[in-house]
Amino acid sequence: MITTSTDSPAAAPAVDVAAAIATAYFDALFPDLEAHALRLADALRETGTDSLTTARIDDLVEEHALRLLDKTEEGVYGAGFIATVDLLTDAASHLSWWQGPERRKLVFPAESVKQGIDYRELDWFRIPMTTGRPHVAGPYVDYLCSDEYTMTAAWPVQVDGVFVGVAGLDVLIDTIERRLTPSLEALGTPLLLVNSVNRVLVSTDVRFSAGDVLRPERVEILERRASERVDLAVVRVA
Amino acid sequence: MFQPIGEAGRAELVERRIAEAIMGGHLRAGDRLPSEADLARTMGVAPTTVREALFALRSRGLVVTRRGRGGGSFVSEDADPRAFARKALTTSSRLTLHDLGIHYSALTVAASRLAARRATPGEIEAIRTRLNRLEAPAPGDDGALAAWRQTMDDLQLELVALSQSARVTREQMRLQAEFSPLLRLLDTEADVREAQRTRFTEILDAVESGDEDAAGRATERMVTEAVAALDALRQRLAAPPADDGAR
Repeated sequence: MITTSTDSPAAAPAVDVAAAIATAYFDALFPDLEAHALRLADALRETGTDSLTTARIDDLVEEHALRLLDKTEEGVYGAGFIATVDLLTDAASHLSWWQGPERRKLVFPAESVKQGIDYRELDWFRIPMTTGRPHVAGPYVDYLCSDEYTMTAAWPVQVDGVFVGVAGLDVLIDTIERRLTPSLEALGTPLLLVNSVNRVLVSTDVRFSAGDVLRPERVEILERRASERVDLAVVRVA
Repeated sequence: MFQPIGEAGRAELVERRIAEAIMGGHLRAGDRLPSEADLARTMGVAPTTVREALFALRSRGLVVTRRGRGGGSFVSEDADPRAFARKALTTSSRLTLHDLGIHYSALTVAASRLAARRATPGEIEAIRTRLNRLEAPAPGDDGALAAWRQTMDDLQLELVALSQSARVTREQMRLQAEFSPLLRLLDTEADVREAQRTRFTEILDAVESGDEDAAGRATERMVTEAVAALDALRQRLAAPPADDGAR
């Protein structure tokens, strides 16, 4: 049912089919992210977490991050591991992160204001840290890593029950729009894919674009269908 | 226009970037720079280009290189961002300073207006919580002063990012790197500092209530006041013969 867009629209309302399309896209990413988090946990357990340095953690993460970036089919833009504060002996905080078409390692551009940003406050770190559960954050302007309009999926990494950081991946909203728009347009009804605060990821309704927020006082939502397993929904508005 | 950029021009670009980071205080005295290979990779230039830029930075006294184990390139121990900022302020004309203010204002006003349309109350609340938690630095506590500016910059950037525009946010980062070292000169004055906090709170209130016009006005007021304070400081600094800051 998920990929059979040839079903007649009468058989399933457009919002149902659209929600299934969104679910299918994110479903393809989660198992890889979970596997990535487990591989990192294994590697960290083996190495031990007592005297880790930034160089050591980068060495350890790189092959796993690049492996995730190989998932070109879903368009993974960035991947890596973000250490919890004070895990490393030579830095208070650190992102082991690879991104972009050239799969470059993230080094904070020297002229930027990024260097002191406290990522413990950001959803993609805070929520997995405090809940112990994976989280999909965004859309948001990721001014820390990609500098692009992004969704970040983050999975907590634990070693012997202790939280050591999050394994994460970025997908650009641009990519999601390109991947989902053709199938959503084929449904023939203007629809919007929104997150839990009603922020638009993808819209086939010309009145809205990614980044807009549907405020209840301004926009009347006629139909809403939650996507399974990821906190997104497809809506049709008046 | 179609002349090759060449590695020579690139070395100057690399040099300028790193120099700006040191003078802006984003790289601090004693900080270790990434290795030549890492710099080359992340900045997308040849290692020889990085080497050339580091050579120029060494001869300007901004960077020192140590050999052997634990060696590498480090920001010079006497690189004082405040001295650089004072020099930048005193040597700039009123026109230049005001034009910087206009540019900064044009961008942040637009961002605040967009945020008023597109941010959610929870996102504003998160910024407000951090702002309320921010403690006024004790007089003479340089570390706390730097932390204050860092947090204020961070919160301003976070607010701009709520515009949901990656381009505007990138431009803000670039401009903030230029503006923030100057603002740091004002941070030692408690009343100016608290006025900034008040103005920023007014922006948050307006954004939270979804009032685009009020958000724009409050942002403009904040920037205008900061530029006026900088202009006053510039004139005070220029009055006695300045003997510091020049390196």
